[in-house]
Amino acid sequence: MSDRPVTTDSGETPSGTADAGTVVDLTAAPEAAAADVPPELLAQSLGQYARAWWVRVRGGNSGVLPVVLAIVVVAVSFQVANSNFLSALNLVNLFKQSTVYMVLAMAEIFALLLGEIDLSVGLVMAFGSVIVAELVQPTGANFPWWAAIIVALLVCSAFGALQGSLVARLRMPSFIVTLGGLLILEGVAIIILGGSLVSIGNSRFTNEVVLYDIFYGQFDPVVSWILLAVLVGAAGTGFWLRDVRKRRAGLETPPRSLTALKIALMAVAGIAVVAICNVNRAHSGTIEGVPYIIPIVLVVLAASTVLLQRTRFGRYVYAIGGNPEAARRAGVSLPRVRTWGFVLAALTSGIAGVLFASWQVSLTTNIIKTANSYVLLAVAAAVIGGTSLFGGRGKTIHGVLGGLVIGGIYNGLYLLGVSSQWIDVVVAAVLLVAAAVDVLSRRGAPRQA
Amino acid sequence: MTADSGETRAETAGAGAAVDLTAAPDAAAADVSAELLAQSLGQYLRAWWLGVRSGNSGVLPVVLAMVLVAITFEIVTPEHAFLRPSNLVYIFGLSTVYIMLAMAETVVLLLGEIDLSVGAVALVGGVIAFKLVQQSGPDWPWWAAVLASLACCGVIGALQGTLTARLKIPSFVVTLAGFLLFSGLLVVVLGGANGFLSVSSSVPNQRVIYNMVQGVIVPVAGWVALAVVVGAAGVALWLREAARRRQGLVTPPASLTAIRIALVALVGVGVVLICTVNRGTPLVSVQGVPWVIPIVLVVLGAWTLLLQRTRFGRYIYAIGGNPEAASRAGVSLAGIRTWAFALCSATAGLGGILLGSFFFGQYSTNTADPGQLVLYAVAAAVIGGVSLFGGRGKAIHGFLGGLLIGGIAYGVSLLNLGTLATPLEYIVPGGVLLAAVLVDVLSRRGTGSVTRV
Repeated sequence: MSDRPVTTDSGETPSGTADAGTVVDLTAAPEAAAADVPPELLAQSLGQYARAWWVRVRGGNSGVLPVVLAIVVVAVSFQVANSNFLSALNLVNLFKQSTVYMVLAMAEIFALLLGEIDLSVGLVMAFGSVIVAELVQPTGANFPWWAAIIVALLVCSAFGALQGSLVARLRMPSFIVTLGGLLILEGVAIIILGGSLVSIGNSRFTNEVVLYDIFYGQFDPVVSWILLAVLVGAAGTGFWLRDVRKRRAGLETPPRSLTALKIALMAVAGIAVVAICNVNRAHSGTIEGVPYIIPIVLVVLAASTVLLQRTRFGRYVYAIGGNPEAARRAGVSLPRVRTWGFVLAALTSGIAGVLFASWQVSLTTNIIKTANSYVLLAVAAAVIGGTSLFGGRGKTIHGVLGGLVIGGIYNGLYLLGVSSQWIDVVVAAVLLVAAAVDVLSRRGAPRQA
Repeated sequence: MTADSGETRAETAGAGAAVDLTAAPDAAAADVSAELLAQSLGQYLRAWWLGVRSGNSGVLPVVLAMVLVAITFEIVTPEHAFLRPSNLVYIFGLSTVYIMLAMAETVVLLLGEIDLSVGAVALVGGVIAFKLVQQSGPDWPWWAAVLASLACCGVIGALQGTLTARLKIPSFVVTLAGFLLFSGLLVVVLGGANGFLSVSSSVPNQRVIYNMVQGVIVPVAGWVALAVVVGAAGVALWLREAARRRQGLVTPPASLTAIRIALVALVGVGVVLICTVNRGTPLVSVQGVPWVIPIVLVVLGAWTLLLQRTRFGRYIYAIGGNPEAASRAGVSLAGIRTWAFALCSATAGLGGILLGSFFFGQYSTNTADPGQLVLYAVAAAVIGGVSLFGGRGKAIHGFLGGLLIGGIAYGVSLLNLGTLATPLEYIVPGGVLLAAVLVDVLSRRGTGSVTRV
């Protein structure tokens, strides 16, 4: 959460470091190598690191800080208004409801990072969910669940490739292409549904049960703890070894204490989540354990983070988002990267579609209205999370956190008995505030005009 | 003119051997469009054709598309009913909201911005006006209700415009949020999800609003009004040209002016003729020009005057063509943009009032889907020939595009497609929108104007 890619931020840090203080350390020297890398990378102690981070936050480059604060504000205010908000039952529900927003927001981020927008993510999600549900129908295609998911994701990706090509090769404005795309998908989805209802709720068919359990199933509490231990252990060891290797190779490495702190934080957050999920949340009987959907979202998050932060493709995405002309002159193939960006957005929306099908269980043409409002929520979640509308700034973790804020607002207002039109009004206001913050923080940063 | 001048020059060089001003690339032609310099009808037509070939085709594509759509639907609809006078009048009523929203959207598109909230704002405007004339409620006179509704919409637009113009938040985000916000507020004003508002033709005050689309001008009055309007417009056009000629300014040939006046008269006679056919039952006759036609024409005229003949209009084209250049030339970008958004929303609000009148004076949450209205509005403007990239387009393009979209929507509904009818309501406008933008993109590419990386 702290070290941001050099490509996106480098230009904004130097002026901030100039007023970092009188302590002589590398992070405070504006003329040093610090000009090209974020000062956190040069910090040699935890104190220096914290100071460098604070300087960066003040320089308008606040990362996940605002959205974490927003989550705290949402949580505290709704807890004050309704003491059930932070109960284990509601927290697990809230998280599960937020997952679709989170995954859709991650999808949107692929387009936003490129400086484009994809208004079709909601409908691609609905389309994917309809395909999955239709394909596993025992009276119809009767595909195995995994084949249905693969087909749905492939179809969604192909649609993304089509839209991406129109945007990237013909340079049609992305919001028009995806607006037209969403209209066409609405029609196609209605045709596939054929005016009837598709359900995956029949417990006699294994394929439907597996799909149903994606949203409604959970690990056994003991298994949940073991999985957490394995996950934190593996990630912690991975981090530690990477730092050790970097140190041995003589590269700039964050202080050991920071790495240890990060691993500890991860473990604490994981333990909290598992502990909350392991509380029995059934009104009668037993429902406890971590829902399957949590690791699923984490896998999507990890995969997209690695893709964007650690691969050449990811660097190209940030480069195009930051300055397309510069990226083009540096030899980046704009049409190809842009097309792939839209493919990834559609693929991720397809994954959201699988979750959505599992969540809704029964799909009717009503999902189209839902899907259309989800587009706005996805954009709002991404922007609230800290992704810039202007391209080149953001990470998929922002989508997850922003999705949690949106899910929290929905859940909280619903608990308070607020009617849906007022919820829309609140979400619109939140989107406007997030966009305004995005614009103002860019204004504060020295790089952009 | 501002928008097109730069593009004419390159093509005029290849105009051919005939020595006339329209063919001279180094003459004053460099700065004005070739049509302005034509001294005979033949030269004018040649210059116009060159403009069309260089991607500057004006209303030609949308008029051709309308003819094509009309012929196609006339052939494929059962009983060949599409071109019946009663259907044509109905199509105009159906298209009214698209026409108004497309004209509203045009002014924002000319700036290179977009307004995704026009649909929701239109409905809010309609609901406000309907609410204010309720006898159980405020019971305002109809004109006060309409003015208040337009003022509210104007303020909404000004707010959105301020956020876009001064805070520099991208317009599609501001108006996306506006769309969500006003879709929610709309339900609140209507009084909940089951809310319902209506105006009745039996209440004198409400009848005016009810009759905006439903009411007709008696045939004789229709003919008299047509004669007066065409006469006045013709004399004004003729006198203006005569004045220009007398002052030695470049003037289009007199024959061209005559043809234009004749065309206007011809279209007018055609419209009044169609409207005068009895479209009711033999027992209850309904004939005459619906009030909505002059209402829409007045708005069209107002927008055309504002955009083509005032400083405000020139500034809009200047900003849409190149904001940096406009700013350096002393144009207040923020002021013009805010006003444009305000006028856009007010026009949309009027569209919303007309929409309620079209639905026999009834407003509920099912009257129209604000999201679909926006899509149709943007599609209509772009199909009509307004560029998405700013600086190119006129109010008439929104008008024609709206009529085309309404025609398509009605034609599809005539086809008795059963289960395919609903999906096609989405697929057809989506496909048409993509096709229109494709043409816009490709025609820009042909002109050598700036393309995006």
